[in-house]
Amino acid sequence: MKEKEKRKIFGRLQRTPKWKKEEFTEIEYEPTSVKELMTEMKDISELIIDLAYSAVLFDSEDIAEEVKYLDVRMDKLNYDIRMMAMMAARTKEDAEQLAGILQVAEAAETISNAAGDIAKLLSLKEKTRPIIPNILKKADESLFRVKVSVKSEACNQEIGQLKVESETGMRIIAIRRGECWIYNPQSDTTIKADDWLIVRGTDEGYNDLDKFLQGKLKVLE
Amino acid sequence: MKEKTSEEIVLEIKDKSELMVDLAYSSILYDNKTIAQEVYDLEDAVDLLYQLLQKKSLEDVQNKKHSINDALTLLRIANAGEQIADAAQEIADVELRDVELHPILKMSIREADIVFTKVQVNPNSILCDKTLGELKLSSETGMVVIAMRHKNKWLYGPTKKTKIDPEDILFAKGPEDGEKHLIELAHAISDEI
Repeated sequence: MKEKEKRKIFGRLQRTPKWKKEEFTEIEYEPTSVKELMTEMKDISELIIDLAYSAVLFDSEDIAEEVKYLDVRMDKLNYDIRMMAMMAARTKEDAEQLAGILQVAEAAETISNAAGDIAKLLSLKEKTRPIIPNILKKADESLFRVKVSVKSEACNQEIGQLKVESETGMRIIAIRRGECWIYNPQSDTTIKADDWLIVRGTDEGYNDLDKFLQGKLKVLE
Repeated sequence: MKEKTSEEIVLEIKDKSELMVDLAYSSILYDNKTIAQEVYDLEDAVDLLYQLLQKKSLEDVQNKKHSINDALTLLRIANAGEQIADAAQEIADVELRDVELHPILKMSIREADIVFTKVQVNPNSILCDKTLGELKLSSETGMVVIAMRHKNKWLYGPTKKTKIDPEDILFAKGPEDGEKHLIELAHAISDEI
Protein backbone atom coordinates (compact mmCIF):
# COMPACT_ATOMS: atom_id res chain seq x y z
CA MET A 1 0.00 0.00 0.00
CA LYS A 2 2.72 2.39 1.01
CA GLU A 3 4.71 1.73 -2.13
CA LYS A 4 1.68 2.41 -4.30
CA GLU A 5 0.99 5.69 -2.57
CA LYS A 6 4.55 6.76 -2.99
CA ARG A 7 4.72 5.95 -6.67
CA LYS A 8 1.81 8.29 -7.20
CA ILE A 9 4.06 11.22 -6.39
CA PHE A 10 7.57 10.02 -7.13
CA GLY A 11 9.15 8.05 -9.90
CA ARG A 12 6.46 8.55 -12.50
CA LEU A 13 6.64 10.09 -15.92
CA GLN A 14 4.77 13.35 -16.14
CA ARG A 15 4.32 16.26 -18.50
CA THR A 16 2.44 19.24 -17.15
CA PRO A 17 3.19 20.94 -13.88
CA LYS A 18 0.43 20.03 -11.50
CA TRP A 19 1.04 22.40 -8.68
CA LYS A 20 -1.57 24.95 -9.70
CA LYS A 21 -4.31 22.36 -9.64
CA GLU A 22 -3.11 21.04 -6.32
CA GLU A 23 -3.03 24.48 -4.76
CA PHE A 24 -6.68 25.14 -5.45
CA THR A 25 -8.00 21.73 -4.50
CA GLU A 26 -9.90 21.96 -1.28
CA ILE A 27 -8.14 20.16 1.48
CA GLU A 28 -10.08 17.07 2.31
CA TYR A 29 -9.55 14.91 5.28
CA GLU A 30 -8.11 11.55 4.27
CA PRO A 31 -7.00 9.22 6.98
CA THR A 32 -3.30 8.46 6.44
CA SER A 33 -1.00 7.19 9.12
CA VAL A 34 1.28 9.72 10.80
CA LYS A 35 4.22 7.49 9.91
CA GLU A 36 3.46 7.57 6.17
CA LEU A 37 3.00 11.32 6.24
CA MET A 38 6.23 11.86 8.16
CA THR A 39 8.21 9.55 5.85
CA GLU A 40 7.00 11.42 2.78
CA MET A 41 7.77 14.77 4.38
CA LYS A 42 11.29 13.66 5.21
CA ASP A 43 11.83 12.37 1.67
CA ILE A 44 10.59 15.61 0.13
CA SER A 45 12.67 17.73 2.49
CA GLU A 46 15.85 16.01 1.27
CA LEU A 47 14.96 15.93 -2.42
CA ILE A 48 13.63 19.46 -2.72
CA ILE A 49 16.90 21.22 -1.80
CA ASP A 50 18.79 19.40 -4.58
CA LEU A 51 15.98 20.07 -7.04
CA ALA A 52 15.95 23.76 -6.18
CA TYR A 53 19.69 24.12 -6.77
CA SER A 54 19.41 22.08 -9.99
CA ALA A 55 16.66 24.38 -11.25
CA VAL A 56 18.92 27.40 -10.85
CA LEU A 57 22.09 25.66 -11.97
CA PHE A 58 20.63 24.20 -15.16
CA ASP A 59 18.29 27.11 -15.75
CA SER A 60 15.27 24.80 -15.87
CA GLU A 61 11.76 26.21 -15.50
CA ASP A 62 10.40 22.65 -15.38
CA ILE A 63 12.37 21.72 -12.29
CA ALA A 64 11.42 25.02 -10.67
CA GLU A 65 7.76 24.12 -11.27
CA GLU A 66 8.30 20.76 -9.60
CA VAL A 67 9.83 22.52 -6.60
CA LYS A 68 6.72 24.69 -6.38
CA TYR A 69 4.52 21.62 -6.61
CA LEU A 70 6.42 19.80 -3.86
CA ASP A 71 6.30 22.92 -1.72
CA VAL A 72 2.50 23.05 -2.04
CA ARG A 73 2.29 19.30 -1.44
CA MET A 74 4.32 19.78 1.74
CA ASP A 75 1.79 22.33 3.01
CA LYS A 76 -0.96 19.77 2.60
CA LEU A 77 1.05 17.01 4.29
CA ASN A 78 1.80 19.32 7.18
CA TYR A 79 -1.89 20.08 7.56
CA ASP A 80 -2.81 16.38 7.42
CA ILE A 81 -0.20 15.39 9.96
CA ARG A 82 -1.48 18.00 12.41
CA MET A 83 -5.01 16.61 12.10
CA MET A 84 -3.85 13.03 12.51
CA ALA A 85 -1.71 13.89 15.51
CA MET A 86 -4.60 15.61 17.25
CA MET A 87 -6.82 12.63 16.72
CA ALA A 88 -4.16 10.28 18.03
CA ALA A 89 -3.56 12.08 21.33
CA ARG A 90 -5.35 10.53 24.29
CA THR A 91 -3.13 11.42 27.25
CA LYS A 92 -0.68 14.13 28.26
CA GLU A 93 2.22 11.77 27.42
CA ASP A 94 0.78 11.15 23.94
CA ALA A 95 0.49 14.86 23.40
CA GLU A 96 4.08 15.50 24.47
CA GLN A 97 5.45 12.89 22.10
CA LEU A 98 3.23 13.94 19.21
CA ALA A 99 4.30 17.55 19.69
CA GLY A 100 7.82 16.38 18.85
CA ILE A 101 6.61 14.83 15.59
CA LEU A 102 4.79 18.03 14.65
CA GLN A 103 7.92 20.05 15.31
CA VAL A 104 9.93 17.86 12.92
CA ALA A 105 7.11 18.11 10.36
CA GLU A 106 7.13 21.90 10.68
CA ALA A 107 10.90 21.92 10.16
CA ALA A 108 10.55 19.80 7.00
CA GLU A 109 8.06 22.37 5.74
CA THR A 110 10.45 25.23 6.51
CA ILE A 111 13.08 23.43 4.43
CA SER A 112 10.70 23.17 1.48
CA ASN A 113 9.91 26.89 1.79
CA ALA A 114 13.61 27.69 1.71
CA ALA A 115 13.97 25.50 -1.40
CA GLY A 116 11.05 27.40 -2.94
CA ASP A 117 12.96 30.65 -2.33
CA ILE A 118 16.04 29.25 -4.08
CA ALA A 119 13.98 28.15 -7.11
CA LYS A 120 12.45 31.64 -7.27
CA LEU A 121 15.88 33.06 -8.12
CA LEU A 122 15.25 31.62 -11.57
CA SER A 123 12.32 33.92 -12.26
CA LEU A 124 14.31 37.06 -11.55
CA LYS A 125 14.72 39.26 -14.57
CA GLU A 126 18.16 40.50 -13.62
CA LYS A 127 21.07 38.70 -15.21
CA THR A 128 22.99 37.32 -12.26
CA ARG A 129 22.91 33.60 -12.70
CA PRO A 130 26.48 32.82 -13.75
CA ILE A 131 27.51 33.55 -10.18
CA ILE A 132 25.52 30.56 -8.89
CA PRO A 133 27.07 27.81 -11.05
CA ASN A 134 30.50 29.10 -10.05
CA ILE A 135 29.69 28.60 -6.39
CA LEU A 136 27.94 25.25 -6.72
CA LYS A 137 30.77 23.72 -8.73
CA LYS A 138 33.01 23.91 -5.69
CA ALA A 139 30.63 22.18 -3.24
CA ASP A 140 31.56 18.86 -1.57
CA GLU A 141 28.96 17.11 -3.61
CA SER A 142 27.81 18.82 -6.74
CA LEU A 143 25.01 18.43 -9.24
CA PHE A 144 25.62 17.14 -12.75
CA ARG A 145 23.62 16.60 -15.91
CA VAL A 146 24.43 13.59 -18.05
CA LYS A 147 22.91 12.04 -21.17
CA VAL A 148 22.38 8.30 -21.64
CA SER A 149 23.90 7.05 -24.90
CA VAL A 150 22.20 4.34 -26.99
CA LYS A 151 25.45 2.38 -26.65
CA SER A 152 25.27 2.28 -22.86
CA GLU A 153 24.50 -0.93 -20.98
CA ALA A 154 22.20 1.15 -18.78
CA CYS A 155 19.48 1.31 -21.45
CA ASN A 156 16.28 -0.47 -20.49
CA GLN A 157 17.69 -1.43 -17.09
CA GLU A 158 16.15 -0.64 -13.73
CA ILE A 159 18.04 1.74 -11.45
CA GLY A 160 17.89 -0.80 -8.64
CA GLN A 161 19.48 -3.52 -10.77
CA LEU A 162 22.25 -1.21 -11.92
CA LYS A 163 22.92 -0.23 -8.28
CA VAL A 164 23.88 3.22 -9.55
CA GLU A 165 23.98 4.79 -6.12
CA SER A 166 25.80 2.05 -4.22
CA GLU A 167 28.37 1.58 -7.02
CA THR A 168 29.12 5.22 -7.82
CA GLY A 169 27.70 7.21 -4.94
CA MET A 170 25.69 9.22 -7.46
CA ARG A 171 22.08 9.80 -6.47
CA ILE A 172 19.72 10.29 -9.41
CA ILE A 173 17.36 13.07 -8.45
CA ALA A 174 15.53 13.49 -11.75
CA ILE A 175 15.29 12.12 -15.28
CA ARG A 176 14.23 14.06 -18.35
CA ARG A 177 12.75 11.99 -21.15
CA GLY A 178 11.75 14.07 -24.16
CA GLU A 179 9.42 16.67 -22.72
CA CYS A 180 8.53 14.57 -19.69
CA TRP A 181 10.18 14.28 -16.31
CA ILE A 182 10.57 11.66 -13.61
CA TYR A 183 11.43 13.16 -10.25
CA ASN A 184 13.06 11.12 -7.49
CA PRO A 185 13.15 7.92 -9.58
CA GLN A 186 12.67 4.74 -7.55
CA SER A 187 14.65 1.52 -7.75
CA ASP A 188 12.18 0.05 -10.27
CA THR A 189 12.42 3.05 -12.62
CA THR A 190 13.87 2.07 -16.02
CA ILE A 191 16.58 4.12 -17.72
CA LYS A 192 16.14 4.61 -21.47
CA ALA A 193 18.44 5.73 -24.26
CA ASP A 194 18.59 9.54 -24.69
CA ASP A 195 17.37 10.18 -21.14
CA TRP A 196 18.99 13.13 -19.40
CA LEU A 197 19.82 12.34 -15.77
CA ILE A 198 20.32 14.94 -13.08
CA VAL A 199 22.58 13.44 -10.46
CA ARG A 200 24.25 14.48 -7.24
CA GLY A 201 27.58 13.24 -5.92
CA THR A 202 31.36 13.57 -6.07
CA ASP A 203 33.50 14.28 -9.16
CA GLU A 204 34.96 10.73 -9.07
CA GLY A 205 31.55 9.13 -8.96
CA TYR A 206 30.43 11.35 -11.81
CA ASN A 207 33.38 10.32 -14.00
CA ASP A 208 32.54 6.62 -13.58
CA LEU A 209 28.85 7.13 -14.18
CA ASP A 210 29.49 9.36 -17.19
CA LYS A 211 31.73 6.72 -18.85
CA PHE A 212 29.14 4.03 -18.16
CA LEU A 213 26.27 6.08 -19.56
CA GLN A 214 28.27 6.93 -22.69
CA GLY A 215 28.93 3.23 -23.24
CA LYS A 216 32.70 3.54 -22.67
CA LEU A 217 32.47 1.38 -19.56
CA LYS A 218 30.54 -1.88 -19.72
CA VAL A 219 29.88 -2.46 -16.04
CA LEU A 220 29.56 -0.27 -12.95
CA GLU A 221 31.92 -1.41 -10.21
CA MET B 1 44.84 33.69 6.97
CA LYS B 2 43.38 34.87 3.72
CA GLU B 3 40.01 36.50 4.07
CA LYS B 4 37.11 34.48 2.70
CA THR B 5 35.34 35.77 -0.38
CA SER B 6 31.56 36.14 -0.45
CA GLU B 7 31.30 33.11 -2.74
CA GLU B 8 33.25 30.97 -0.30
CA ILE B 9 31.03 32.05 2.56
CA VAL B 10 27.86 31.17 0.61
CA LEU B 11 29.28 27.77 -0.23
CA GLU B 12 30.18 27.15 3.39
CA ILE B 13 26.66 28.06 4.47
CA LYS B 14 25.23 25.68 1.84
CA ASP B 15 27.46 22.76 2.83
CA LYS B 16 27.02 23.34 6.56
CA SER B 17 23.23 23.66 6.38
CA GLU B 18 22.92 20.40 4.43
CA LEU B 19 25.20 18.61 6.87
CA MET B 20 23.02 19.94 9.70
CA VAL B 21 19.87 18.44 8.21
CA ASP B 22 21.59 15.04 7.95
CA LEU B 23 22.95 15.28 11.48
CA ALA B 24 19.59 16.39 12.85
CA TYR B 25 17.72 13.44 11.33
CA SER B 26 20.38 10.99 12.52
CA SER B 27 20.37 12.43 16.03
CA ILE B 28 16.72 11.43 16.22
CA LEU B 29 17.24 8.05 14.62
CA TYR B 30 19.98 7.13 17.13
CA ASP B 31 18.49 9.09 20.00
CA ASN B 32 21.85 10.84 20.27
CA LYS B 33 22.04 14.12 22.19
CA THR B 34 25.73 14.75 21.32
CA ILE B 35 24.93 14.95 17.61
CA ALA B 36 21.90 17.12 18.34
CA GLN B 37 24.11 19.45 20.36
CA GLU B 38 26.49 19.72 17.41
CA VAL B 39 23.60 20.87 15.24
CA TYR B 40 23.10 23.70 17.73
CA ASP B 41 26.77 24.67 17.54
CA LEU B 42 26.71 24.57 13.75
CA GLU B 43 23.66 26.82 13.75
CA ASP B 44 25.66 29.43 15.67
CA ALA B 45 28.43 29.10 13.10
CA VAL B 46 25.99 29.56 10.21
CA ASP B 47 24.51 32.64 11.90
CA LEU B 48 27.97 34.19 12.15
CA LEU B 49 28.75 33.33 8.53
CA TYR B 50 25.51 34.92 7.41
CA GLN B 51 26.29 38.13 9.29
CA LEU B 52 29.78 38.16 7.84
CA LEU B 53 28.34 37.72 4.36
CA GLN B 54 25.95 40.64 4.80
CA LYS B 55 28.85 42.93 5.59
CA LYS B 56 31.07 41.43 2.94
CA SER B 57 28.55 41.73 0.13
CA LEU B 58 27.96 45.40 0.91
CA GLU B 59 31.71 45.94 0.75
CA ASP B 60 31.84 44.04 -2.56
CA VAL B 61 29.28 46.38 -4.04
CA GLN B 62 31.12 49.40 -2.71
CA ASN B 63 34.42 48.16 -4.16
CA LYS B 64 32.67 47.35 -7.45
CA LYS B 65 33.60 43.68 -7.12
CA HIS B 66 29.97 42.66 -7.51
CA SER B 67 26.95 44.30 -9.04
CA ILE B 68 23.99 44.94 -6.75
CA ASN B 69 22.14 42.06 -8.39
CA ASP B 70 25.00 39.61 -7.86
CA ALA B 71 25.27 40.57 -4.23
CA LEU B 72 21.50 40.17 -3.83
CA THR B 73 21.58 36.70 -5.36
CA LEU B 74 24.32 35.63 -2.96
CA LEU B 75 22.38 36.98 -0.01
CA ARG B 76 19.20 35.23 -1.12
CA ILE B 77 20.88 31.85 -1.45
CA ALA B 78 22.57 32.31 1.90
CA ASN B 79 19.25 33.31 3.43
CA ALA B 80 17.69 30.07 2.22
CA GLY B 81 20.64 28.16 3.66
CA GLU B 82 20.15 29.97 6.94
CA GLN B 83 16.47 28.96 6.99
CA ILE B 84 17.44 25.34 6.34
CA ALA B 85 19.93 25.54 9.21
CA ASP B 86 17.17 26.89 11.48
CA ALA B 87 14.92 24.01 10.47
CA ALA B 88 17.67 21.51 11.27
CA GLN B 89 18.02 23.10 14.69
CA GLU B 90 14.26 22.71 15.26
CA ILE B 91 14.62 18.98 14.52
CA ALA B 92 17.58 18.64 16.87
CA ASP B 93 15.60 20.51 19.51
CA VAL B 94 13.09 17.65 19.62
CA GLU B 95 15.92 15.25 20.47
CA LEU B 96 17.34 17.53 23.18
CA ARG B 97 14.04 17.81 25.01
CA ASP B 98 13.44 15.65 28.06
CA VAL B 99 10.56 13.83 26.44
CA GLU B 100 10.90 10.35 25.10
CA LEU B 101 10.77 10.33 21.29
CA HIS B 102 7.70 8.94 19.63
CA PRO B 103 8.64 5.60 18.00
CA ILE B 104 7.03 6.77 14.74
CA LEU B 105 9.72 9.44 14.33
CA LYS B 106 12.50 6.89 14.23
CA MET B 107 10.49 4.57 12.01
CA SER B 108 9.76 7.24 9.42
CA ILE B 109 13.42 8.29 9.23
CA ARG B 110 14.46 4.65 8.97
CA GLU B 111 12.01 3.91 6.14
CA ALA B 112 12.77 6.93 3.99
CA ASP B 113 14.57 6.68 0.62
CA ILE B 114 17.91 7.69 2.09
CA VAL B 115 18.91 5.69 5.15
CA PHE B 116 21.24 6.60 7.98
CA THR B 117 23.54 4.05 9.50
CA LYS B 118 25.91 3.75 12.44
CA VAL B 119 28.76 1.26 12.44
CA GLN B 120 31.86 0.58 14.52
CA VAL B 121 35.09 -0.21 12.67
CA ASN B 122 36.59 -3.59 13.57
CA PRO B 123 40.43 -3.55 14.04
CA ASN B 124 40.71 -6.14 11.22
CA SER B 125 38.66 -4.07 8.82
CA ILE B 126 40.18 -2.92 5.57
CA LEU B 127 38.96 0.60 6.42
CA CYS B 128 41.48 0.99 9.28
CA ASP B 129 44.31 3.51 8.98
CA LYS B 130 43.14 4.79 5.63
CA THR B 131 41.77 8.20 4.75
CA LEU B 132 38.29 8.70 3.38
CA GLY B 133 39.88 10.01 0.18
CA GLU B 134 41.97 6.85 -0.31
CA LEU B 135 39.01 4.62 0.35
CA LYS B 136 36.68 6.56 -1.96
CA LEU B 137 33.89 5.30 0.26
CA SER B 138 31.22 7.56 -1.13
CA SER B 139 31.86 6.79 -4.78
CA GLU B 140 32.37 3.05 -4.16
CA THR B 141 29.62 2.24 -1.66
CA GLY B 142 27.31 5.22 -2.04
CA MET B 143 27.61 5.91 1.69
CA VAL B 144 28.68 9.40 2.72
CA VAL B 145 30.21 9.65 6.20
CA ILE B 146 28.61 12.61 7.95
CA ALA B 147 30.11 12.18 11.41
CA MET B 148 32.68 10.04 13.23
CA ARG B 149 33.38 9.23 16.84
CA HIS B 150 36.99 8.62 17.77
CA LYS B 151 37.12 7.45 21.42
CA ASN B 152 35.44 10.38 23.15
CA LYS B 153 36.03 12.84 20.37
CA TRP B 154 33.53 13.67 17.68
CA LEU B 155 34.20 14.82 14.17
CA TYR B 156 31.46 16.29 12.02
CA GLY B 157 31.53 16.57 8.24
CA PRO B 158 34.86 14.71 7.78
CA THR B 159 36.94 15.55 4.69
CA LYS B 160 38.96 13.43 2.25
CA LYS B 161 42.00 13.71 4.51
CA THR B 162 40.20 12.26 7.55
CA LYS B 163 41.72 8.97 8.63
CA ILE B 164 39.69 6.07 10.00
CA ASP B 165 41.15 4.42 13.10
CA PRO B 166 40.20 1.02 14.56
CA GLU B 167 37.15 1.21 16.88
CA ASP B 168 35.96 4.50 15.34
CA ILE B 169 32.22 4.77 15.01
CA LEU B 170 31.02 6.00 11.63
CA PHE B 171 27.70 7.71 10.98
CA ALA B 172 26.85 7.58 7.30
CA LYS B 173 23.96 8.12 4.91
CA GLY B 174 23.14 6.54 1.58
CA PRO B 175 21.07 3.89 -0.21
CA GLU B 176 19.95 0.68 1.47
CA ASP B 177 22.26 -1.68 -0.44
CA GLY B 178 25.20 0.63 0.25
CA GLU B 179 24.50 0.33 3.97
CA LYS B 180 24.99 -3.45 3.89
CA HIS B 181 28.25 -3.07 1.98
CA LEU B 182 29.61 -0.52 4.46
CA ILE B 183 28.70 -2.67 7.46
CA GLU B 184 30.42 -5.70 5.93
CA LEU B 185 33.56 -3.67 5.29
CA ALA B 186 33.61 -2.19 8.78
CA HIS B 187 32.97 -5.56 10.44
CA ALA B 188 35.79 -7.12 8.39
CA ILE B 189 33.35 -9.55 6.77
CA SER B 190 34.30 -8.28 3.32
CA ASP B 191 37.51 -6.73 1.98
CA GLU B 192 36.13 -5.72 -1.38
CA ILE B 193 35.49 -2.04 -1.58
